[in-house]
Order: sequence, then structure tokens, then C-alpha cells
Amino acid sequence: MIRNYFKIAWRNLKKNKFYSIINISGLALGMFCSLLIWFWVKDEMSYDRFYPDYEDIYYVRCNSDFNGKVVTSALTPSPLAEALKKDVPEVAFATKLAYNRDLLINFGEKAGKENGLYASDDFFDVFRLPAIAGNPKDALASPNHIVITRNVAEKYFRDISPLGKTIRLNNDKDYIVGAVIENIPSNSTVQLDWVVNFKETEQEWMQLWGNTMLRTYVRLHPEAAPENAETNMKGIYPKYADMDVFPILQPLKNVRLYSDYKNGKPSGGGIEYIRIFMIVALFILAIACINFMNMATARSSLRAKEVGIRKVVGAARNSLFKQFISESILTSLLGLLLALGLVKLTLPAFSRFVRRPIEMDITDPTTLTSIIALLLITGFLSGSYPALYLSAISPIHNLKNKLKPGFFNAAFLRKSLVVFQFTLSIFLIISMIVINGQMQYMRSENLGLDRERVLSIPLEGELYNKMEPFKQEVLRSAAVENATTSAMLPIDIGSSSGDLSWPGKDPDLQTNVSVMHVGYDFIKTMNIELAAGRDFSKDFRTDSLAYLINESTAELMGMEDPVGQQISFWNGEAPVIGMMKDFHIQSLHMPITPLILCLDPLNSSHMLVKTRAGKTAQAIQDLEKLTRKFNPNYPFEYHFLDTEYEKLYRTDTMISTLIKYFGILAMVISVMGLLALAAFTAEQRTKEIGIRKVLGASVTNIVTLLSGNFTRLVLISIVIASPVAWYTMHRWLNSFAYSIELQWWMFILAGSVAILIAWITVSGQSIKAATANPVKSLRSE
Amino acid sequence: MIKITDLEKFYRTEEVQTVALNKLSFDVKEGEFVAVMGPSGCGKSTLLNILGLLDDPDGGSFIFNGIEVSGFNERKRANLRKHNIGFVFQSFNLIDELTVFENVELPLIYTGVKAADRKERVHEVLEKMQIMHRKNHFPQQLSGGQQQRVAVARAVVNNPKLILADEPTGNLDSSNGNEVMDLLTELNQQGTTIVMVTHSEHDAKFSHRIIRMLDGQKVTENILV
Repeated sequence: MIRNYFKIAWRNLKKNKFYSIINISGLALGMFCSLLIWFWVKDEMSYDRFYPDYEDIYYVRCNSDFNGKVVTSALTPSPLAEALKKDVPEVAFATKLAYNRDLLINFGEKAGKENGLYASDDFFDVFRLPAIAGNPKDALASPNHIVITRNVAEKYFRDISPLGKTIRLNNDKDYIVGAVIENIPSNSTVQLDWVVNFKETEQEWMQLWGNTMLRTYVRLHPEAAPENAETNMKGIYPKYADMDVFPILQPLKNVRLYSDYKNGKPSGGGIEYIRIFMIVALFILAIACINFMNMATARSSLRAKEVGIRKVVGAARNSLFKQFISESILTSLLGLLLALGLVKLTLPAFSRFVRRPIEMDITDPTTLTSIIALLLITGFLSGSYPALYLSAISPIHNLKNKLKPGFFNAAFLRKSLVVFQFTLSIFLIISMIVINGQMQYMRSENLGLDRERVLSIPLEGELYNKMEPFKQEVLRSAAVENATTSAMLPIDIGSSSGDLSWPGKDPDLQTNVSVMHVGYDFIKTMNIELAAGRDFSKDFRTDSLAYLINESTAELMGMEDPVGQQISFWNGEAPVIGMMKDFHIQSLHMPITPLILCLDPLNSSHMLVKTRAGKTAQAIQDLEKLTRKFNPNYPFEYHFLDTEYEKLYRTDTMISTLIKYFGILAMVISVMGLLALAAFTAEQRTKEIGIRKVLGASVTNIVTLLSGNFTRLVLISIVIASPVAWYTMHRWLNSFAYSIELQWWMFILAGSVAILIAWITVSGQSIKAATANPVKSLRSE
Repeated sequence: MIKITDLEKFYRTEEVQTVALNKLSFDVKEGEFVAVMGPSGCGKSTLLNILGLLDDPDGGSFIFNGIEVSGFNERKRANLRKHNIGFVFQSFNLIDELTVFENVELPLIYTGVKAADRKERVHEVLEKMQIMHRKNHFPQQLSGGQQQRVAVARAVVNNPKLILADEPTGNLDSSNGNEVMDLLTELNQQGTTIVMVTHSEHDAKFSHRIIRMLDGQKVTENILV
């Protein structure tokens, strides 16, 4: 029976090539999107799940009260890990990790920068990473030892065993390789190529509970309940630090996708993008399925006779239903094969784009199951309505080849589905226009400081030790306009403090002020406008204690004329010497916050070099020469500040690009459906067109008649899509502290594009029908 | 085999109600060959649709093989139909996408006959209808007479007790028409009951009895044999 179904399905596909191509390629595009998104989601969901017993590993965050609101921090103080292990019985192991750093590794002639971190003793008990050589736990616990990954081992030791060999880290200290571990899979939120005991980098000031700068992870006992652990953790801060801070646990598997916290509770994160794109993929698949449904029901009259005969010779309704479902599954299968080919072709580019090594392994059981599920879902989604529709028709009507108009009201449903398709497409086009506008705005927005022609050079090794002579040499280059140093990149100032105080401050007011150490000439090099006062200057020896603030800080302190006033901050009580106009210190997602700059060149980790217009290439050459001279052990490294700025919007860029491609795809599939429907309608109305022409209708009359119906549907879609898109985009723009306004022309533009495309699609068919010789069409009846 | 009593069927549009069958009663005995005649619109086709369990009467009784079938749901009707009734139409009604073999095979598929048995049975019928050499052709590749022979083959492949023929020669020239009538007569002689709707006096003469209808009612009944 099934063979018979597929046989006739195949013959039908071959017979109606035009419609088959539209159906198969539409479904292929829809399934292609779904598959691509599915592989991406699968990869994102796989994060951190490869660790043995990953369900027992938790990331520790801290909730604290800030002016009546609960703030959740991702970083924790150094003594917390030990306290957790000691005071919380559910905790089996606890480890703290310092920031990942790219440090220079030397072994003999070989040198290179490798990313790694300092971690405390329990690291390998929490993260049970497989060892290749040596015992990583022992190695980490031994002083002067380093654990490296297979990557580093192969790069620096090739054919010799790395165990027991001494390498130099950061051009500063020698470590013995104590163990080699397998490379960390890329789907781990903790990444490293080397690890050294935290004690090697620990300093006294880090012991304070108020200094939060580390990541803390715990492994609970297998049977322990995390809720009980959290309850017990509440006692830690009162016991050791007298602070209103409560550590909380986040399952390791959630760290990647649920990184946002609101009022002390998880509130999403990357998972939202995953949800959005799953919905978008589903929408596109739905659009493709609708094409199939519409064509199948529109062309049902052509199948009516066959249905009738089958019923007369004994087919029951369910066997007919099965037959039509088989047909849609066969069509979907052909689409699926095409989609898999497309995925294979585009996966490398897609992987680069999402910066993940995404693979398609159809031998993987989950993947295979999902692909089969996709096939069946698509087959049923697109085939079930036509199957119900066709199998329900009475055999008498079928045999007379007449379908009662309005039966199941298929025409109305068809129109509704076209409206649905175009609503989705127009929604995506509006989103595309708005997102693109916001991206343009972010790229061109004046941040209040220069980011063009600014190079940043990491101050490492001798560049750090001989910072001032290096700067003087840099300034001597004819291609360099100015130079300064800073602790962070000024486009992304991540450090903040609650230590600000001033005369008359409300003692209950908690403050959080961004802070950065800079060298001399920061204001001049970055071209920041001063609202009052001056930059740090070598002419004033007391400037090493003074503060530069921005307008928001002055506003926070309620000072109209802050210059000359004494405030208390990291350097103790000292005067404000200048007030900068507010400039953006983070991505435009974040509002401008109060900022204090302190003068401390020795705390710098970057040199920022402003080049002269048109001389950037020359400046890079000069800087390379100078770096090689000052710092021969390190490779020359530099970054453009505007490129670093773009990196702040990686996710936004990704979203924008994906929406763009998906929007175009949705439109293409919708248009394909419309084309098929228009062709079919023109074909069905041949007789009517013939009569109208005989009675004197012009070609324009006919084209308007045929295109008018479709135009009306697209207009309805615009009316539905616009408010939905307005609401969604309004919410998205609200995620930025600084954004463009939604403009009416964005909606008009999207609508016009849709109308124009629909009109071009339909009118081709309409003109063909309208210019045909009426004699032929009437004779053929 | 068939006993209809006071059978009624109406067709309604929003404003008008048309009476297609008006308290029609008659019997058909097993092995009989009955011709139904009458002008267009007299209710012949409606009658055939009801006899073929394709349509439900609005009133009256229809007993088929001793069972009251008016009021049967679609599934029951389909089940009864596929085991007992074969159809032959004026316009042949072959499925264009299926070959001659596949068209004839179709009823056997729906009654769940095994593939090997199907093949044997279809070949047997095609041989009998002398159309075996065309078994891999599609309907469009055949002449009208050949198509109707295929349709008859399909109607008899399940060994139905009753064959309903709706103007079986209407689309055929006289020599092809006669061939089809000979086939039906032969089937009848082998025991199959036949009810045939026709306009043709010539064809009606092949039957045992002619029922003439007008406006949904039986007007006369002539026994020929």
C-alpha cells in the first residue's frame, strides 16, 4: 500500500514540475534554516556537560543589597572558596580561578603567548579533566609546578616528554611541567592551556572579603541538595566579613546560557537569543509548509477525480489520508535531502560566523533522531490539512470534478495563510531595518572620545618596566600624534568601586563608581572634552593623588562646580582637578555611569597611541621597531581601538546578520508560494479572463483584477505586522541605554518592499493571463 | 439482493429544494440485469449513487443483501462497497497517474489482498478483457474502448456481487460499445447482478428488465426476458 502511495506521489511530483520545484525548494529552505539553528542550539546546549558528574558542579555568585536592590555579581572574593569548603558540609571541593591571561611561555628557543590561569588546589577535583601524563592534582598542589594541555605540550616539546622540563612563564618565573592534560573542549566555559597554583600570584590585598575578583566553583557531594548548601552558605559572610552578601549556586551547565541575574534570580542571558532564533526558524519552516498547504488545497480540484475513484473502489478516508500524508512526507524528504546538502555547504561559514566549531554528524543518534523528527513534523505540518481536506470530499462531487465552493472554506483559509506568511516576512523586514539602523548608530555614534586612529599595545615585559622611555621614543615618531597609558581600554571600563565619599554624603547612600588608572596625557590622547579644570600634569606633583571625574560623578555628588573640592576615594582625601564631559565607558547597552580617573602610570597595562591622519601604517612600522628594541622576548602585538569597540557588539552583529539572512529567506519562500498561487489562480480563471476580454476588458483591467486580490492580502499583513514589530523592536531597543527612535518610515519602507515584491511576483502571471488570446481559452473549455 | 422502498432524495440550495427521488420503490433479484432509463434529470444518477453506497437517501429504506444500509456511516459504506460492488462509468474514471495494471489492482489493495495474489488476479482479469498487452500503459495511451475494458476489469477484479454501470457506452463508438455490452452480458451470465443506467434503447435490450423513470419516480417496468 505504502509503495503504491509513494509511486503515485512520485508521479505527481514529476508531472507538475513547476509546483514540485516550488514546494521542494521552499521546504528545503525552511528545513535548512531549522537544521542550521538546531546544530547551533545543540552546540550551545552542550556547554560544560562533558565534565564527569557535571551535575554536581556549581558556579558561585554573590547577591548583595545595593540601595534596596539585590545585585548579583559573578566575581567573588578570594577567601570564599576556603570558607565554603570548611563551613558548608554539602561542598566536597571548592576552587577559585583568577582571570584568564595570555602570558609568554619560553622553552629553549621557543616562545609564544598562551592563555591560562591561576587556580587553587581543588581545581582538578572540581573539573575532572583527563590527564595524559603526570598527576595534575599533585602538580597543581606542588610549588613551582605548571600543568599544561596537549596543545602546549605539542607546540613546545614535540618529540620529547614535557614532564619535569622547566618553562619560563611571563618572562619572569620558571615552572616545572608537572602534568599534561587533554585539551579543554571548546564547549567549556572554563578555558585554559596552562594552570598554575593561585598561591603563586596571590597578594595580601586579595585576602580581603571586599575585593571581588575571582571566579569560585564548587563540587557538591553527589547526594547533597544545592538548596541546603545555599542555606548553609548564608552564614559565611556574617561569620567572616560582616557584610550583607549571600553566596548563591548556579549549576555549571547553566553558566553559558543563563548569565543574567535580576533581583538575585536568574533572568536569562544567551538562552534568549537561542529562543528567538528557534522561533524564527520555526516561522520560516511554517512559511514553507504553508506554501505546500496552499498549493495542495488550491490544486485539490485536480486531484478530486482520483480521490473519487479511490473511494468508489473501496478506499476508506483514513487510507486516503495516509496517501496524502505520504505525498507530503515524500516531498519533505526531497526537501530534506536538499536542505542537508545546503547545511553541509554553509556550515563552515556559519561556524566562523557564530565562532563555534559546529559540526554535522548524521551518525550521531540525537542528530539522526532530530532530522527524522524534522522530516515528520514538516511532512505532517504541511500535509495534514490538505490530507484532511482532500480525503473528506464526497466521492460524488469528486467524480463530477466539482468541488463545492466554500467547502471547509479552503479559499478563506488559503488567504489567511498567505496573510500569515507575509505578516511574518514583513515583521522580519521591519526588524531588519530597525536592527540595521541601531547597528549603524552604534558604529557612528560619537562616544565622547576618539576611537579612530588609536592603537593599543599591551605593556608587558620590558615595555612595562621601561614604560616612560618607551613612551618618549614612541612620541618621537613623526607618525604619532600622542600617547598615553591606561589600566583598561577606555571603551570598556569594567572596574568599579563603592568607596567614593564626599562632604555631606548621605551615609545610607550606596554608590558604585567606575574607576580606571591612567597615565599622563590621557585626556589629550583620547580627545576627551573637559567641562572644567585640567588633565593630570607633571607640573603638579600633588596630581598623583588627585582625581579626574566625569559629569555623572559630579551629578551623583550634587556638585555644580566640583573642581577644587575635596573628595575621598582610593587615594584618600584629595581634590578634584578636572571634570570631563560624559563619554561612553562601555557598550551602548550600558548607561554612562559615574567615573573617576586616578593617576598611576605603574598600574597601566596598555599604551594607547594616537596616530596622525593617513600615517597609521607608518606608525605601526615604527611601533614594531621600537617594541622589538625594547622587548625582544615578546612578539609585537597591537590592536585598533575601533576594532575592539566593534567586538563589544559581537552578539548584536551576529543577531543583525542572522535576522538579515532569515528575513530575506522568509521573503523568498513567501514569494515563491505567492508565485505558485498566482500562476494557479490565473490558470483557473482563464475562462473568466477570456469572457471579460470578449466583453471589452483591457489588459490593465485584467492585471489589476488579478493582482488586486493579492495586494489586498499584503496590505492586511502590513497592518498586522507593524504593531507586533513595533512592540518587539521597542523592547529590543530598550535593551540599549542609547538607541535610535522607531520611525514611521521604517514601517512604510518594509511595507512598500513587500508590496512591490508581491506585485512584481503576481503581475508577471497576471500579464501572461491577460495577454493570452481569449478565443483559445474559451475554446478549450 | 436489492430492495428499495419509498426512497427519497432532495437537493437543496439556499432557496430551492429539488426532488431527485420521489418515493421510489423496486427490487433487484440476485443474478438479474436491470436497465434504468429516463430523460436527463429524472434521478437515474442519484439512484445509482445511492445503490452504490456513494450517497445517503433522505428517506425510505434500502436493503442490500438483507441488511438495511440507509443511515450507514461512511466507513461502513466504504467497507460494504469495496467487497460487494463494482462500478463502470461513462467517462471510464481511470486514474491518469497509474498504469493499466495499477488501476485494476487498486480495489485489491484496498481489500487487503497480498501482492502475489493481486498480481495473479489482475493478470487473470486483464487476460479475460483482452487488454493484457497494454498492462504497462497509462490511460491516456489507450483508445476509449480499451479504457472502458480496463474500467470493467477494475470493476470485476474483486468478484463483486453487483455491478453498477452508468452509461457505460456513452463515450464509445458502436462497435466498442457492443464489445462492452457483450462483456457485461457475459458477467451477468456468470452470476453477477447488474444495474445499468442508460439512454440507449439498444443497450437496454441487453438487460432482463427496463425500469423507466421520470421526475424521480418509476413510470413503467418492462420485462424483456
